[in-house]
Amino acid sequence: MDIKVAAFGEKDIISMFKAAGIDTFSVNGDIDKISEAEEKLKQIVSEGYGIIFMTETIASKLDSLVREYANETQPSIVVIPGLGKRNNYAVKNLRRAIIKAVGADIMAEERNRSE
Amino acid sequence: MLANVNATRMELLRLKKRLNLALRGHKLLKDKRDELMRQLLAAIDEVKTLRFSIEMKFQSILEKFVLAKAGMGPCATEQSLLLTAKKISVSGSRRNIISVNVPVYTREVSGSILPYGYMNMSGEMDIALTDFDKFLDDLLNLAEKEKSVQLMAVEMEETRRRVNALEYKLIPGISETIKFITMKLEENERSNTVRLMKVKDIVRSH
Repeated sequence: MDIKVAAFGEKDIISMFKAAGIDTFSVNGDIDKISEAEEKLKQIVSEGYGIIFMTETIASKLDSLVREYANETQPSIVVIPGLGKRNNYAVKNLRRAIIKAVGADIMAEERNRSE
Repeated sequence: MLANVNATRMELLRLKKRLNLALRGHKLLKDKRDELMRQLLAAIDEVKTLRFSIEMKFQSILEKFVLAKAGMGPCATEQSLLLTAKKISVSGSRRNIISVNVPVYTREVSGSILPYGYMNMSGEMDIALTDFDKFLDDLLNLAEKEKSVQLMAVEMEETRRRVNALEYKLIPGISETIKFITMKLEENERSNTVRLMKVKDIVRSH
Protein backbone atom coordinates (compact mmCIF):
# COMPACT_ATOMS: atom_id res chain seq x y z
CA MET A 1 0.00 0.00 0.00
CA ASP A 2 1.48 3.30 -1.03
CA ILE A 3 1.18 6.15 1.37
CA LYS A 4 1.19 9.77 0.37
CA VAL A 5 3.17 12.17 2.51
CA ALA A 6 2.25 15.78 3.05
CA ALA A 7 3.73 18.68 4.96
CA PHE A 8 1.46 21.34 6.34
CA GLY A 9 2.49 24.57 7.99
CA GLU A 10 4.27 27.87 7.58
CA LYS A 11 5.85 28.43 4.24
CA ASP A 12 9.36 29.04 5.58
CA ILE A 13 9.66 25.65 7.16
CA ILE A 14 7.62 23.71 4.72
CA SER A 15 9.74 24.58 1.69
CA MET A 16 12.42 22.33 3.09
CA PHE A 17 10.07 19.38 2.84
CA LYS A 18 9.41 20.29 -0.72
CA ALA A 19 13.04 19.66 -1.62
CA ALA A 20 12.65 16.15 -0.24
CA GLY A 21 9.83 15.43 -2.64
CA ILE A 22 7.04 15.74 -0.14
CA ASP A 23 3.85 17.48 -1.17
CA THR A 24 3.59 20.74 0.69
CA PHE A 25 0.64 22.83 1.69
CA SER A 26 1.53 26.16 3.12
CA VAL A 27 -0.81 27.86 5.48
CA ASN A 28 -0.88 31.06 7.39
CA GLY A 29 -0.84 30.73 11.14
CA ASP A 30 -2.84 33.89 11.79
CA ILE A 31 -5.70 33.71 14.21
CA ASP A 32 -8.30 34.78 11.65
CA LYS A 33 -7.21 32.14 9.15
CA ILE A 34 -7.80 29.16 11.39
CA SER A 35 -11.00 28.00 9.78
CA GLU A 36 -9.21 28.17 6.46
CA ALA A 37 -6.39 26.01 7.78
CA GLU A 38 -8.92 23.61 9.21
CA GLU A 39 -10.61 23.25 5.85
CA LYS A 40 -7.27 22.66 4.23
CA LEU A 41 -6.29 19.95 6.67
CA LYS A 42 -9.61 18.20 6.14
CA GLN A 43 -9.05 18.39 2.43
CA ILE A 44 -5.56 16.94 2.73
CA VAL A 45 -6.87 14.05 4.78
CA SER A 46 -9.72 13.37 2.39
CA GLU A 47 -7.24 13.26 -0.47
CA GLY A 48 -5.74 10.24 1.22
CA TYR A 49 -2.49 11.49 2.66
CA GLY A 50 -1.28 8.95 5.17
CA ILE A 51 1.48 10.89 6.89
CA ILE A 52 1.15 14.57 7.57
CA PHE A 53 3.99 16.61 9.00
CA MET A 54 2.64 19.62 10.77
CA THR A 55 4.32 22.47 12.54
CA GLU A 56 3.73 22.93 16.22
CA THR A 57 2.17 26.37 15.96
CA ILE A 58 -0.46 25.23 13.49
CA ALA A 59 -1.13 21.97 15.30
CA SER A 60 -1.84 23.68 18.59
CA LYS A 61 -4.36 25.91 16.85
CA LEU A 62 -6.09 22.99 15.17
CA ASP A 63 -6.02 20.97 18.36
CA SER A 64 -9.52 19.54 18.21
CA LEU A 65 -9.07 18.32 14.66
CA VAL A 66 -5.68 16.80 15.39
CA ARG A 67 -7.15 14.97 18.36
CA GLU A 68 -9.95 13.67 16.21
CA TYR A 69 -7.49 12.18 13.73
CA ALA A 70 -5.30 10.79 16.50
CA ASN A 71 -7.65 7.89 17.15
CA GLU A 72 -7.83 6.79 13.55
CA THR A 73 -5.34 4.56 11.79
CA GLN A 74 -4.90 7.08 9.04
CA PRO A 75 -3.51 9.73 8.84
CA SER A 76 -0.65 9.85 11.29
CA ILE A 77 0.05 13.43 12.08
CA VAL A 78 3.60 14.18 13.14
CA VAL A 79 4.10 17.45 14.88
CA ILE A 80 7.45 19.07 14.21
CA PRO A 81 8.87 22.03 16.06
CA GLY A 82 8.58 25.32 14.26
CA LEU A 83 10.52 28.50 14.37
CA GLY A 84 10.24 30.76 17.36
CA LYS A 85 8.71 29.91 20.67
CA ARG A 86 8.22 26.27 21.55
CA ASN A 87 4.96 25.06 22.96
CA ASN A 88 5.76 21.36 23.34
CA TYR A 89 2.54 20.40 21.66
CA ALA A 90 3.72 16.91 20.72
CA VAL A 91 4.78 16.05 24.24
CA LYS A 92 1.48 17.28 25.60
CA ASN A 93 -0.31 15.16 23.05
CA LEU A 94 1.71 12.11 24.06
CA ARG A 95 0.97 12.73 27.70
CA ARG A 96 -2.71 12.99 26.94
CA ALA A 97 -2.64 9.62 25.21
CA ILE A 98 -0.90 8.09 28.20
CA ILE A 99 -3.37 9.54 30.68
CA LYS A 100 -6.15 8.14 28.57
CA ALA A 101 -4.59 4.70 28.48
CA VAL A 102 -3.29 4.30 31.99
CA GLY A 103 -5.59 6.62 33.86
CA ALA A 104 -2.64 8.40 35.46
CA ASP A 105 0.09 10.72 34.32
CA ILE A 106 3.16 8.51 34.26
CA MET A 107 5.37 11.05 32.58
CA ALA A 108 4.89 13.62 35.31
CA GLU A 109 5.67 11.02 37.91
CA GLU A 110 8.90 10.13 36.18
CA ARG A 111 9.91 13.74 36.03
CA ASN A 112 9.28 14.22 39.71
CA ARG A 113 11.37 11.20 40.51
CA SER A 114 14.30 12.43 38.47
CA GLU A 115 14.19 15.85 40.04
CA MET B 1 -27.17 -5.73 41.64
CA LEU B 2 -29.90 -8.28 41.68
CA ALA B 3 -31.32 -8.98 38.27
CA ASN B 4 -35.03 -9.41 37.84
CA VAL B 5 -35.28 -13.14 37.16
CA ASN B 6 -37.53 -16.09 37.76
CA ALA B 7 -36.14 -18.32 40.45
CA THR B 8 -36.13 -21.49 38.43
CA ARG B 9 -33.62 -24.23 37.88
CA MET B 10 -33.41 -23.38 34.20
CA GLU B 11 -32.54 -19.78 34.94
CA LEU B 12 -29.92 -20.99 37.39
CA LEU B 13 -28.28 -23.15 34.76
CA ARG B 14 -28.32 -20.32 32.26
CA LEU B 15 -26.77 -17.91 34.75
CA LYS B 16 -24.09 -20.36 35.73
CA LYS B 17 -23.08 -20.68 32.09
CA ARG B 18 -22.98 -16.91 31.76
CA LEU B 19 -20.88 -16.57 34.87
CA ASN B 20 -18.39 -19.06 33.53
CA LEU B 21 -18.15 -17.21 30.28
CA ALA B 22 -17.77 -13.88 32.02
CA LEU B 23 -15.01 -15.21 34.22
CA ARG B 24 -13.16 -16.61 31.26
CA GLY B 25 -13.54 -13.37 29.33
CA HIS B 26 -12.41 -11.40 32.33
CA LYS B 27 -9.26 -13.42 32.68
CA LEU B 28 -8.46 -13.10 28.99
CA LEU B 29 -9.11 -9.38 28.93
CA LYS B 30 -7.02 -8.88 32.02
CA ASP B 31 -4.13 -10.68 30.36
CA LYS B 32 -4.61 -8.55 27.29
CA ARG B 33 -4.61 -5.42 29.40
CA ASP B 34 -1.40 -6.36 31.16
CA GLU B 35 0.38 -7.21 27.96
CA LEU B 36 -0.86 -4.06 26.28
CA MET B 37 0.39 -2.04 29.19
CA ARG B 38 3.82 -3.61 28.90
CA GLN B 39 3.99 -2.90 25.18
CA LEU B 40 2.67 0.60 25.64
CA LEU B 41 5.22 1.50 28.28
CA ALA B 42 8.05 0.26 26.07
CA ALA B 43 6.66 2.20 23.11
CA ILE B 44 6.28 5.35 25.19
CA ASP B 45 9.89 5.22 26.27
CA GLU B 46 10.98 4.80 22.69
CA VAL B 47 8.82 7.66 21.45
CA LYS B 48 10.06 9.94 24.18
CA THR B 49 13.74 9.49 23.42
CA LEU B 50 13.10 9.59 19.68
CA ARG B 51 11.08 12.76 19.93
CA PHE B 52 13.61 14.62 22.02
CA SER B 53 16.49 13.71 19.74
CA ILE B 54 14.46 14.60 16.67
CA GLU B 55 13.42 17.95 18.02
CA MET B 56 17.00 18.86 18.77
CA LYS B 57 18.21 17.78 15.35
CA PHE B 58 15.35 19.42 13.55
CA GLN B 59 15.94 22.70 15.29
CA SER B 60 19.54 22.84 14.12
CA ILE B 61 18.65 21.82 10.58
CA LEU B 62 15.91 24.38 10.46
CA GLU B 63 18.22 27.09 11.67
CA LYS B 64 20.72 26.23 8.96
CA PHE B 65 18.02 26.20 6.35
CA VAL B 66 16.53 29.51 7.38
CA LEU B 67 19.92 31.14 7.52
CA ALA B 68 20.78 29.85 4.07
CA LYS B 69 17.45 31.05 2.81
CA ALA B 70 18.01 34.46 4.30
CA GLY B 71 21.44 34.60 2.72
CA MET B 72 20.13 33.82 -0.73
CA GLY B 73 16.85 35.63 -0.62
CA PRO B 74 13.43 33.99 -0.49
CA CYS B 75 12.75 34.28 -4.21
CA ALA B 76 15.92 32.53 -5.27
CA THR B 77 15.35 29.75 -2.77
CA GLU B 78 11.81 29.30 -3.91
CA GLN B 79 12.92 29.10 -7.48
CA SER B 80 15.68 26.59 -6.88
CA LEU B 81 13.47 24.33 -4.87
CA LEU B 82 10.61 24.51 -7.29
CA LEU B 83 11.52 21.43 -9.27
CA THR B 84 12.26 18.51 -7.07
CA ALA B 85 14.58 15.80 -8.26
CA LYS B 86 13.84 13.59 -5.36
CA LYS B 87 10.87 11.29 -5.31
CA ILE B 88 9.78 9.92 -2.04
CA SER B 89 7.43 7.06 -1.81
CA VAL B 90 6.42 5.48 1.39
CA SER B 91 4.83 2.11 1.47
CA GLY B 92 2.91 1.11 4.49
CA SER B 93 1.83 -2.15 5.95
CA ARG B 94 0.21 -3.16 9.19
CA ARG B 95 1.63 -4.93 12.16
CA ASN B 96 -0.58 -6.57 14.70
CA ILE B 97 0.27 -5.94 18.35
CA ILE B 98 -2.37 -7.76 20.40
CA SER B 99 -5.19 -6.92 18.01
CA VAL B 100 -4.07 -3.33 17.57
CA ASN B 101 -3.17 -2.71 13.97
CA VAL B 102 -0.26 -0.34 13.95
CA PRO B 103 1.25 1.03 10.76
CA VAL B 104 4.73 0.24 9.52
CA TYR B 105 6.25 2.65 7.05
CA THR B 106 9.09 1.88 4.74
CA ARG B 107 10.66 4.52 2.60
CA GLU B 108 11.82 4.22 -0.96
CA VAL B 109 13.66 7.13 -2.41
CA SER B 110 15.08 8.03 -5.75
CA GLY B 111 17.11 11.02 -6.85
CA SER B 112 19.21 13.42 -4.89
CA ILE B 113 17.76 15.90 -2.51
CA LEU B 114 19.60 18.80 -4.14
CA PRO B 115 17.39 19.78 -7.03
CA TYR B 116 19.62 22.57 -8.22
CA GLY B 117 23.00 23.12 -9.77
CA TYR B 118 25.73 24.27 -7.47
CA MET B 119 25.91 27.67 -9.03
CA ASN B 120 24.17 30.50 -7.22
CA MET B 121 23.45 28.33 -4.23
CA SER B 122 25.06 28.72 -0.89
CA GLY B 123 26.91 25.88 0.74
CA GLU B 124 24.81 26.15 3.85
CA MET B 125 21.77 25.20 1.86
CA ASP B 126 23.49 22.04 0.63
CA ILE B 127 24.40 21.08 4.14
CA ALA B 128 20.94 21.80 5.50
CA LEU B 129 19.24 19.78 2.81
CA THR B 130 21.53 16.76 2.98
CA ASP B 131 21.14 16.74 6.74
CA PHE B 132 17.42 16.90 6.30
CA ASP B 133 17.52 14.00 3.88
CA LYS B 134 19.17 11.78 6.46
CA PHE B 135 16.76 13.05 9.03
CA LEU B 136 13.66 11.96 7.09
CA ASP B 137 14.05 8.33 8.12
CA ASP B 138 13.89 9.34 11.75
CA LEU B 139 10.79 11.37 11.08
CA LEU B 140 9.03 8.43 9.45
CA ASN B 141 10.07 6.25 12.33
CA LEU B 142 8.61 8.76 14.72
CA ALA B 143 5.39 8.92 12.71
CA GLU B 144 5.07 5.17 12.99
CA LYS B 145 5.83 5.03 16.69
CA GLU B 146 3.64 7.92 17.70
CA LYS B 147 0.72 6.50 15.81
CA SER B 148 1.17 3.12 17.47
CA VAL B 149 1.23 4.73 20.89
CA GLN B 150 -1.94 6.61 20.14
CA LEU B 151 -3.74 3.58 18.78
CA MET B 152 -2.57 1.44 21.65
CA ALA B 153 -3.75 4.05 24.11
CA VAL B 154 -7.23 3.93 22.65
CA GLU B 155 -7.29 0.14 22.74
CA MET B 156 -5.91 0.17 26.25
CA GLU B 157 -8.68 2.42 27.46
CA GLU B 158 -11.31 0.21 25.90
CA THR B 159 -9.83 -2.94 27.40
CA ARG B 160 -9.49 -1.35 30.78
CA ARG B 161 -13.12 -0.33 30.79
CA ARG B 162 -14.19 -3.78 29.68
CA VAL B 163 -12.17 -5.44 32.42
CA ASN B 164 -13.59 -3.10 35.02
CA ALA B 165 -17.14 -3.52 33.78
CA LEU B 166 -16.80 -7.29 34.01
CA GLU B 167 -15.05 -7.24 37.34
CA TYR B 168 -17.18 -4.75 39.20
CA LYS B 169 -20.52 -4.94 37.45
CA LEU B 170 -21.33 -8.04 35.49
CA ILE B 171 -19.65 -10.76 37.54
CA PRO B 172 -20.88 -9.57 40.98
CA GLY B 173 -24.35 -9.09 39.53
CA ILE B 174 -24.52 -12.61 38.17
CA SER B 175 -23.06 -14.17 41.31
CA GLU B 176 -25.59 -12.36 43.43
CA THR B 177 -28.45 -13.50 41.25
CA ILE B 178 -27.19 -17.07 41.34
CA LYS B 179 -27.04 -16.91 45.11
CA PHE B 180 -30.55 -15.52 45.23
CA ILE B 181 -31.90 -18.30 43.02
CA THR B 182 -30.18 -21.10 44.97
CA MET B 183 -31.49 -19.69 48.25
CA LYS B 184 -34.96 -19.41 46.82
CA LEU B 185 -34.85 -22.98 45.50
CA GLU B 186 -33.60 -24.29 48.83
CA GLU B 187 -36.32 -22.39 50.61
CA ASN B 188 -38.92 -23.92 48.31
CA GLU B 189 -37.46 -27.34 49.00
CA ARG B 190 -37.69 -26.81 52.73
CA SER B 191 -41.23 -25.53 52.62
CA ASN B 192 -42.11 -28.51 50.49
CA THR B 193 -40.66 -30.93 53.05
CA VAL B 194 -42.46 -29.18 55.88
CA ARG B 195 -45.71 -29.32 53.96
CA LEU B 196 -45.25 -33.02 53.34
CA MET B 197 -44.51 -33.66 57.01
CA LYS B 198 -47.58 -31.69 57.98
CA VAL B 199 -49.75 -33.63 55.53
CA LYS B 200 -48.35 -36.88 56.84
CA ASP B 201 -49.16 -35.82 60.39
CA ILE B 202 -52.72 -35.04 59.44
CA VAL B 203 -53.07 -38.36 57.63
CA ARG B 204 -51.62 -40.27 60.59
CA SER B 205 -53.91 -38.63 63.16
CA HIS B 206 -57.01 -39.79 61.30
